[in-house]
Amino acid sequence: MMNKTITLTGVALACLMGTTAIADTADKRIALSNNYAGNSWRQAMLTSWETVTGQAVADGTVAAADAFTTAENQVTEQAAQIQNLILQGYDAIVINAASPEGLNGAVKEACDAGVVVVSFDGIVTEPCAWRIAVDFHEMGKVQVEYLATRLPDGGDLLEIRGLAGVFVDDAISGGIHEGVSENSQFAIKGSVHGNWAQDVSQKAVAGILPSLPEIKGVVTQGGDGYGAAQAFKAAGRDMPIIVMGNRQDELAWWKEQKDATDYQTMSVSIAPGVSTLAFWVAQQVLDGKDVPKDLTVPFLTITQDTLEDNLATTQEGGVANVEYSLEDAQSVINEAM
Amino acid sequence: MSLLQKPWIWSWIGTLAVCLVIIGISGLGAGTQVLSAALSFGTFFVIVAIGQMFVVTLGPGNVDLSIPACMTLASTVAMKVMGGSSTMLLPGLLIAIAIGTIIGLLNFGLIRLLRIPPIIATLSSSFLFQSTAIWYNRGLRVKPPEPLADFATAKLAGVPLLAILVLVLTVIMHVILHHSLFGRAVLAVGQNSRAASLAGIKVERTRLLTYLTSAVLAAICGFFLAGFSGGAALNMGEEYLLMSIAVVVIGGTSVAGGFANLPGLWGASLFMFLLVTMLNTLGLSAGIRLILTGAIIVGVIAISGRRGRT
Repeated sequence: MMNKTITLTGVALACLMGTTAIADTADKRIALSNNYAGNSWRQAMLTSWETVTGQAVADGTVAAADAFTTAENQVTEQAAQIQNLILQGYDAIVINAASPEGLNGAVKEACDAGVVVVSFDGIVTEPCAWRIAVDFHEMGKVQVEYLATRLPDGGDLLEIRGLAGVFVDDAISGGIHEGVSENSQFAIKGSVHGNWAQDVSQKAVAGILPSLPEIKGVVTQGGDGYGAAQAFKAAGRDMPIIVMGNRQDELAWWKEQKDATDYQTMSVSIAPGVSTLAFWVAQQVLDGKDVPKDLTVPFLTITQDTLEDNLATTQEGGVANVEYSLEDAQSVINEAM
Repeated sequence: MSLLQKPWIWSWIGTLAVCLVIIGISGLGAGTQVLSAALSFGTFFVIVAIGQMFVVTLGPGNVDLSIPACMTLASTVAMKVMGGSSTMLLPGLLIAIAIGTIIGLLNFGLIRLLRIPPIIATLSSSFLFQSTAIWYNRGLRVKPPEPLADFATAKLAGVPLLAILVLVLTVIMHVILHHSLFGRAVLAVGQNSRAASLAGIKVERTRLLTYLTSAVLAAICGFFLAGFSGGAALNMGEEYLLMSIAVVVIGGTSVAGGFANLPGLWGASLFMFLLVTMLNTLGLSAGIRLILTGAIIVGVIAISGRRGRT
């Protein structure tokens, strides 16, 4: 009943907003500048963009919303791409950036040319751009806080990090270590880099596991939980609480364990559909709305109770996802005001 | 030639040293477990490195940069075609091998017919293969059939079954390299392709077979790696590019071509896995780990290279 009311309100709101939006942004063109497409998260991100913006174009909310991805994940390449998009006369550019600082020159050029720039996930520091940032630090910390509720006596933890040298890896790890320092019953006994890939994580964990004491919990960064579970299984060790990262293979494994042994854990990550949130924010800015420069993306957290629902809606082999609507974007904007 | 003058010995000395450090830190029991893990994962490095070694041996400029994309494409297509069904196992493997064959032919075609240098040819063709893999399945991870997963992770008395099979493959390739017409042709072309051609060796056919071998082995590696790690992923081949080259070079194969050996591939593969594990076990930060990894690799290559020339 509650759900229905919310949906109805949402529809009503959407209709209301839809009509106002058409008036001002119907002739505007928005481009997506994306630096990388080589993993399942990025693929889901692009698919969500296509779905939501395709509908928006069909509805006449905007005139065009084209996605462009660079081949080599290089800063110089993406900077050139942004310059091309400026020349092509786009009114707004939504960016998932290869580097926080490296693109600032190109972004400044875009702003100077009167183009609205909205960065998300991989954000840019140039002040003229909007930023839809993920609180990665908090994403690390909530994992330890969850483990504290599950393991009041604490224990030894294994940390799986992402790709060394990427700021996301430092931010999540920083949050995890802050969580551990606030919960002194925990100690991180080992730390490996899994590069956000299941097979790399599996390899790294399999290597370090024999030298570790009993591990009670595994804190992760996403895309590495299933590989870690495989490594624990192969070593014949007791399965610790492995925090998952919303990948379908992780959720399916968790469901299997839940049914077999009442295994409990949590899963947290950012929905790839955040690209659609960025799209709506760009649309709102073009619409003349007053939008703060710094916005925060909500996490997509999956708990023991919501596991089945999320698993059912996640494409096999994909990532749990949420596509954002105009009113979602407006509530994110209002929260930041 | 004494044992110490064999070009491959240094990778094995490195492996032994790292092994002793790990046992020193975590005890003998943990050490044997680490070794078992090293065999599991090192096996995959060895498979692609065999192909890369033959290519590198052809002489300066010869290198196969399409290995990661080949692994990704072959395993993605094979996993999707099998769709987790065990009756499709054989067709799946054959499809992976067929894709490897096509990729090998394409690479050679670019190099021979369009006269593109191998580095550029295999790099650009890899974009093609990677994009095909993205287009084909959009990065969705399809689970391997149960028997394939069981086979890829099976162990005989603590030794991974796959490692034993790849060891047999290594012995066969060793015989091919040193005692077959093809192997000797590869070495001859690498030492001096003009002299080889004048001596009646069919240089282009040798190159074709070499690039074909590399691509087919990469495809097979991708197939079993997907079985081992629970599915094919778009980024599964990423670290195999540098790793295949590093393993070949550390294993004592001459980068300038013309001189190759297979025992070094095993030594170098185990060394690379154990080295990362040792640095992880020591709890060093990522920056220091990367610096040490680089420094140690340079050290091993410098020592083995110097011995190789004398």
